Amino acid sequence: MATKTFTNTTAENALQMLRFLPRISCENLVKNPYARNKKRKRVGKYGRRGRLGYGQKGMLQRQKYLPLGMEIQVVKTDPRPNKIIIRTTPWHIRHPREWYYKGILDRRQYPPLSLYELQLLIDTGKINPDEPIDLATLCNTNCYHINPLDKHYGIHLTDDGLDVFTAKINIEVQHAKEQVIAAIERNGGVITTAFYDIKSVMALADPLKFFKSGEPIPRRLLPPPDCIEYYSNPKNRGYLADPEKVAEERFLLSQKYGYKLADLKIDPLYKTLTLRKDPRQVFYGLEPGWVVNLKDKEILKPSDKLLQEYYKS
Amino acid sequence: MNLTSKSVSRLFSSRLRLSALRSASERHSSSSTASTIGISQSTLEESKNVDSVLSVPTFFKRDLQNTELFNKNITPPREAWLENFDSLERRKLNVIELHPKVFGAFPRPDLIQLNHWWQTRYGQVDWLWFRTRAELAGSQKKPWQQKGTGRARHGSITAPQWIHGGWSHGPRGPRSHFFMLPFFTRVRGLIACLSAKFAQNDLKIVDTLEKFPSDDSKFLLEFVDKRGWGPSVLIVDKNDIFPRNIALASEDINHINLMPVYGLNVYSMLKHETLVLTLAAVEEIESKLLYQLTRNDLKEVINKFKAPYIGHQPKVF
Repeated sequence: MATKTFTNTTAENALQMLRFLPRISCENLVKNPYARNKKRKRVGKYGRRGRLGYGQKGMLQRQKYLPLGMEIQVVKTDPRPNKIIIRTTPWHIRHPREWYYKGILDRRQYPPLSLYELQLLIDTGKINPDEPIDLATLCNTNCYHINPLDKHYGIHLTDDGLDVFTAKINIEVQHAKEQVIAAIERNGGVITTAFYDIKSVMALADPLKFFKSGEPIPRRLLPPPDCIEYYSNPKNRGYLADPEKVAEERFLLSQKYGYKLADLKIDPLYKTLTLRKDPRQVFYGLEPGWVVNLKDKEILKPSDKLLQEYYKS
Repeated sequence: MNLTSKSVSRLFSSRLRLSALRSASERHSSSSTASTIGISQSTLEESKNVDSVLSVPTFFKRDLQNTELFNKNITPPREAWLENFDSLERRKLNVIELHPKVFGAFPRPDLIQLNHWWQTRYGQVDWLWFRTRAELAGSQKKPWQQKGTGRARHGSITAPQWIHGGWSHGPRGPRSHFFMLPFFTRVRGLIACLSAKFAQNDLKIVDTLEKFPSDDSKFLLEFVDKRGWGPSVLIVDKNDIFPRNIALASEDINHINLMPVYGLNVYSMLKHETLVLTLAAVEEIESKLLYQLTRNDLKEVINKFKAPYIGHQPKVF
């Protein structure tokens, strides 16, 4: 097989051309002639004075344009009775607000992450599939960003790249559809949907920043009433659901989608696959109320009985 | 390393290396380039003869970082001769592979120009300063009375409409032109410049500067001349403490300069005709630039000079 040495890429052509051109030096540099000039250039006699093209009086000078959809209608006196001039207000001015979007910015948001992206993160070595994956793992990759100040409450795992997903993982997300759950369980993995209140999400979104602040790890709150049903439903693999019912639903889903469900008990990764957080726990391996001291590399635990009782699960 | 027949045949059969050699010889033998470089024809012939001499090379394979960044069939790794730096006679020690994303990238001329412009511009200070009417010496009193003279009314002879009057809105005081180019324009400018230098055969790689035999500047001039390197040479090493001989030899020559890797910049590369890198410097440059190309905390780097994001503020009633 002949090895390809020179290929017809743009970079290669340019470098080949450079071999026979004069040496690049300070003297023969040129500005990019195709760069877009952002500034509007005004030339001519009235280029730098006058009204700068905005009219001398009235609506145009004051930049007071009519709203979109309005048209200037010249009303003529028409003697004929059949001709009626109709003036309509544009729809968006008659209905200035769309109430079905009420409070859209104050509702909980779940920025999406597709299964394809997750597979890519695992393949490129940014995520270790042998360890349980949660919001902190994904935020630490620096490839998935959330901003808790924008009411981002966590991950919505979407079904893009469902067919190419092959990793066996133990993942905890905030929202997932049925087909996504099936795609993960088909490969022998485990998925849980869990809720975090906004303070816990802030800690998980940037763990280093949180530990540096010196605050104790917060006690995770229970979900609000509108989603308590979602997180206690075994069909959604909710973290508040009965584990036995979840096992039953896992089997039923495998029957529905037609794949063989792997037995977790035989699995060599049984421990990591069945590792789950307490409903009050935020970080794996750390309990609420503890303070992580990064400088001295130690963990401080509350000794006061009152505090212990407060942080108890 | 073990010297197998396979590796030797690989060394000589590759079309890439042969064509690289051919182009190099063409470049040096053509009279037009020789006149621009300013080397006499006899030295060129000498260097040509030296080229044909191939002493026993010391083979070793350099492992490239981040091989996932390029496709071997589309952009194969660049290959360059590793030369000696310990004697007047040129010996080719090895063929080393260079990362195509650093030494074989598209040579964006506009980015090279932008970087050059930025480097020449950001340090400039405009000292121009004109006096206003308040700062002028002289009388501030009314030149003549308001009425009755028949002349135009004036309040002061230092007013800006007067000849030798003060300046309104004139240039004021030291004005800094300091600004920063976007971070990645700087990174890609370096890559473009290195690629262009390598394509034009102006980038030479030597093993080490430690064994340079003399501290005489005349010897260094002869050395550079015999190698066929351009009159001005930039020698780059990993560390900023250079070996004694090369430091003393290049001290009195203004057009042969030494520079550590952390000081390497587009302006200096353009200013000098030939860029000489040590093997350690090549590895350092590659790893540093590849780190910039693969880092995933770009958001923090780019937002460094921007105001912090406050986020959505919900209405409170």
